[in-house]
Amino acid sequence: MGAKEDLEILDKIASEFKIKGEMRRKGRIWLDAPTEGFVDFCKWLKERGFEHLSAISAIDWPGEGMYELAYHLWSYLDKTLITLKVKIDRQNAVMDSVTEVWDGSAQAHEREIHELFGIEFEGNNNLTPLFLEDWEGLPPFRKDFNWREYVGEKYYDRHNERERVYYD
Amino acid sequence: MSARSTMTDTMNANESTTINQSQPVAEDAGYDFYFGPAHPGSGNFGVKLRMAGEVVTSARADPGYLHRGFEKLMEYRLPIQNSVLSDRICVLEALNWNLIHAEAVEELMEIEPPERAKYIRVIMAELSRIQSHIIWFGAFCIGTGFETGFKLAFGYRDYILDLFEMITGGRVYPAGYICPGGVRRGFPDGATQKIAQVLDQIGRMVRIEEIEHPALTARTKGVGVLNLEDAIRLGATGPVLRASGLKADVRKDDPYEVYERFDFEVPAREEGDAYARYLVGIEEIRQSARIIRQALQQLPEGEVIAPKLKRIKLATKIPEGDVYIRNEVARGEAGMYMVSDGGDKPYRVKIRGPSFLHMIPVLEHLLTGAQIADVPAIYWSLNVCPADLDR
Repeated sequence: MGAKEDLEILDKIASEFKIKGEMRRKGRIWLDAPTEGFVDFCKWLKERGFEHLSAISAIDWPGEGMYELAYHLWSYLDKTLITLKVKIDRQNAVMDSVTEVWDGSAQAHEREIHELFGIEFEGNNNLTPLFLEDWEGLPPFRKDFNWREYVGEKYYDRHNERERVYYD
Repeated sequence: MSARSTMTDTMNANESTTINQSQPVAEDAGYDFYFGPAHPGSGNFGVKLRMAGEVVTSARADPGYLHRGFEKLMEYRLPIQNSVLSDRICVLEALNWNLIHAEAVEELMEIEPPERAKYIRVIMAELSRIQSHIIWFGAFCIGTGFETGFKLAFGYRDYILDLFEMITGGRVYPAGYICPGGVRRGFPDGATQKIAQVLDQIGRMVRIEEIEHPALTARTKGVGVLNLEDAIRLGATGPVLRASGLKADVRKDDPYEVYERFDFEVPAREEGDAYARYLVGIEEIRQSARIIRQALQQLPEGEVIAPKLKRIKLATKIPEGDVYIRNEVARGEAGMYMVSDGGDKPYRVKIRGPSFLHMIPVLEHLLTGAQIADVPAIYWSLNVCPADLDR
């Protein structure tokens, strides 16, 4: 698989879905997708050979009031990595689930993001927490969760002379 | 009466009173069985099994006992600190994770490490892979009751740990030996000869491992069969995927560092059972040794750290941007997504450990319908590491 084939994929995406992307280097395609028709676009990509959902990353941008989700897809056929980025509103953090496209793998990735960022995935029937035990606070990987403050409050004693330094 | 059946009877008797309170009791209601987290054979990880007699009817993974929040910790630290932190993502293959972190920072900062450093990185990453596969072999043996294999493995692993101590200063944790820009220091005198000697020792061990021990084959052949379609659907990678029939390896398909310069095979098998995964692992040790021998032969002279970073400044700005790095580690595909907003610390780091999917969807799928006695064999045949699942 060479750079030429990567550009062909990009052209095809641009003509069929009106989604513009860039090829940063051979085998690395980056796309910004809209939320409407996202699952259909993913289905098309999977049929095109992108069978392996390597990971889903969430990035919190509180200043811009949104979450960004990055889907990293690999094609065993074309040997190309597509990173598909989509932005959702931070106040109403709901996203369509891609479990019907990538099944078990998507479900686990979405469970993790739901727990650590508090994003809802519509259509995922198992969003039970993975890592945290009886957690009721703010999802801890959000930028507005201050873990230093949390650790201080929870694990250090303000009145203990040796532990007071954590508060100063 | 054996210890296991006594336990089963006790659990059956108690089922309606204590164990099964939350679920409605059906007529053929089974019982819950916990494999881990306090089980010596499970690592810091639990699986809740729903049993009917000796058969597992459903399995639910219970991770989180090793969750340290690396992704969040890295947002508060400089790349040079994160480099040391990245060791800890997986205890058993610290150098591979060091390499992934270094590659992510380099690609964002547009630094090219010197040639010699790239070769040293490949040698260290492959030694780390061999060492991790040896632990896999050992854990797999003890999980199936073949203790000789376990002792053999941990004895031979020490040769590689001695090498790590000589080269990086740490036996298990290299403390950021592979850092952004190259490696911390070059090989000490005599290191290349010693690596060659250790490879000979490992070759001897592989020959012993290859003998078909009835103790192992009887417990693993035809056990935990994962077909190719399920493997792809559930996101299996690395040796697990290859044992199910797909010859996919990041080192071959998407080469990083200098892997495209070496001649090596990607072993794959069709059977998809625990024994096939074991055989793939053994062959990979041999192929890694082949790569190291070639790298030692081609090893160029020169610097080991990029001139730009020779005197590492503590706070170097990372240019704005994002990058996704994929590497082949011993367990499968490892990834790191790093986002920078132009500050001196990464804005967001996402770590993709291969065990995440192997230990949740794949494990739950394989355990459903299995015999209770096969649970450890299936569990360890997946080459799992709770540390890179929980992060």
